[in-house]
Amino acid sequence: MLNVYVNNYVIVFVFLCIGVLLPVGALAMGRFLRPHVPDEAKQTTYESGNNPFHDSRVPFQVHYYMFALLFVIFDVETVFLYPWAVAYDKLGLFAFIEMFIFVLMLVLGLVYAWKKKVLRWM
Amino acid sequence: MSSVPLSAYLVLALILFCIGLYGALTKRNIVVVLICIELMLNAVNINLVAFAKYGAHPGVAGQIFALFTIAVAAAEAAVGLAVLMALYRNRKTVHIDEIDSMKH
Amino acid sequence: MSMHTLLRYEWGVMTPEFIIIGTALILSLVDLLMPDDKDRRPLAWIAFVGVAIAFVATIGLIPAETTSILHDTFRLDAFGKAFKLLLLAGGALSLLLAFDYRPKEGLKHRGEFSYLMLCALLGAMIVTSSGDLITLFVGLELLSISSYILVGLRKTSVQANEAALKYVINGGISTAMTLFGMSYIFGLTGTTNIKEIAVEAQKLTDGEYQYILALAFLLLFVGLAFKISTVPFHMWTPDVYQGAPTPVTAFLSVVSKTAGFAIVLRLLITIFAAAPARGKDTSSMLLSMQDYIAFLAGATMIVGNIVALKQRSMKRLLAYSSIAHAGYVLVGFAAMSWVMIDSIWFYLLAYLLMNFGAFAILQRMSDEADSDDISRFAGLYQRSPLLAVAMGVFLLSLAGIPGTAGFIAKWNIFLGALMTEPGHYVLAAVMIATTVISYVYYFGIFVQIFFRPAAETSSLRLPIGLTLIVVVCALGTLLFGVVPGLAYHFLGQFEHFGDFLQ
Repeated sequence: MLNVYVNNYVIVFVFLCIGVLLPVGALAMGRFLRPHVPDEAKQTTYESGNNPFHDSRVPFQVHYYMFALLFVIFDVETVFLYPWAVAYDKLGLFAFIEMFIFVLMLVLGLVYAWKKKVLRWM
Repeated sequence: MSSVPLSAYLVLALILFCIGLYGALTKRNIVVVLICIELMLNAVNINLVAFAKYGAHPGVAGQIFALFTIAVAAAEAAVGLAVLMALYRNRKTVHIDEIDSMKH
Repeated sequence: MSMHTLLRYEWGVMTPEFIIIGTALILSLVDLLMPDDKDRRPLAWIAFVGVAIAFVATIGLIPAETTSILHDTFRLDAFGKAFKLLLLAGGALSLLLAFDYRPKEGLKHRGEFSYLMLCALLGAMIVTSSGDLITLFVGLELLSISSYILVGLRKTSVQANEAALKYVINGGISTAMTLFGMSYIFGLTGTTNIKEIAVEAQKLTDGEYQYILALAFLLLFVGLAFKISTVPFHMWTPDVYQGAPTPVTAFLSVVSKTAGFAIVLRLLITIFAAAPARGKDTSSMLLSMQDYIAFLAGATMIVGNIVALKQRSMKRLLAYSSIAHAGYVLVGFAAMSWVMIDSIWFYLLAYLLMNFGAFAILQRMSDEADSDDISRFAGLYQRSPLLAVAMGVFLLSLAGIPGTAGFIAKWNIFLGALMTEPGHYVLAAVMIATTVISYVYYFGIFVQIFFRPAAETSSLRLPIGLTLIVVVCALGTLLFGVVPGLAYHFLGQFEHFGDFLQ
């Protein structure tokens, strides 16, 4: 099974090899042919003509991460809500009550974040 | 073209798991280590879903298991990042080999 | 599913869990609505009362028949009852420790302290009585994630941050390994119900499938080694124990470890005991893996005891001692005698008593000066003779000297290793040798307590919560050391946990 499947991808693999080899070869050729004369000005970071004045990596505001964390958690909880919503008619009251409890817990988490002043920007 | 066999999924999951394990054990940056742990957990998800669809005993339980894995992985990642933020505030570093104040 | 079937379930068997989750919810709301400047230490008392009620409820459930509810995802059997009692006792003691936890720099999140501990306890309880891989996994993660936060709760302390981070990373890797093993088990059997898995696994006579099943076993075991802190996943233990607040350290070393052993026993025995190992050979997969487990048990004992020799920090010393003790318990598992679960349960009970006692005194000594160096104990005998004697009892028990619960526990594990046919003589020899090594560091503390002059001469006063722990643990350690029959009589009503598979 696996052999048949893999054989189908031989052409893809050949193309992959060509795709990798072509730029590598071209760049290597260029490297051998071009002159190599580095100086101070050439090695600075290219900033559209401006002089670079600090590190290119600026730390984000820490609040951004707080929001991102909250988003990750609440976002993923939809994986439970979605199947329930799709099969809502078949599941009935029991699942409804269960989901109600589930959402209640999520709300509790949100209230916690609110009380701890995470939701306030700055 | 024949459909993708189960073993292809399993090999993919195994490779993904090994990459994740390798990265988690060797990388210096903690964010990358956390990403590698996510890779390992996603390898588990691929396994579960592939078994649930093409396994010897297909069943929906595998997909449900995968859902729980996703949710728990998110919670774990969130806690990991929160701890990392607390550490960064105190130490100003995210490099794992600088975190050695308890070496004995 | 209709309302009718829902109400027909015997929800009563989940009473202890409901009490814990109710207390945790109420505490979290109370903590949120309380004004910021109010003292939150009474919350730990409320949590303690909740756990005590749950303990009583569990005792009330002991006569109940083996029941399983919610499509056999939650099952209350003798195994679950016995381990839940240990977990609840451990949880109650750690809450008492938390009540009297007064670090030098103060503790900002005291409210979270109590209810996160309850959540972790809930996870541990779910783990002991789950009949399904998914429930088991969710319970395990509830325990793990709550403990990650608990370890890092002292947000301003660099050590606590590091400890929490190391715990999260190690925990994440081990979780992924456990899950990878579980995914293969699901793939081979097509079900997540542990009982059905056991039935399906018996039908796997194809060598290739058995190979994957053995791989799954190893992945599961290595992943779970994290929770019980045995080799190969023991490296987090000293750092996490040192960086975590002392009540959390005690919680991790007892409750988390007990839960870990509960999973190891339930999962591995149920699934792999009856699975054939080679072709249609009737010998079981579990027995064919015995050598690997025995090797890990031996390595754990050696590593734990040898490295403990050079520790100066008491918490690190107790961490390595806890690794060593996990190794002793693993000897009980590797031997697979018919008294295995009984002797492991008794060992964990003895370990709970002696460890909590030692941690209570350690907490008192280290809070005073924000240092847990072994020299803090110097001259304890002059400062408080009673406390010194109590600490002496705990150390003797940890070392396994006759007359204490620790000795009986170790003796039973030792006998179990020799009882089987063929006996595990090498493992038993390693156990004795490493126990002798452990005397060196336990008696090092002894020397500090009784023979070194005190740096300070002020007498020590023990707060009420800690006093309670020390008294209960010291009495328990001596009681079970002199009349272990009490505990075995109690275990007798479970009839060697025969309802494991029903």
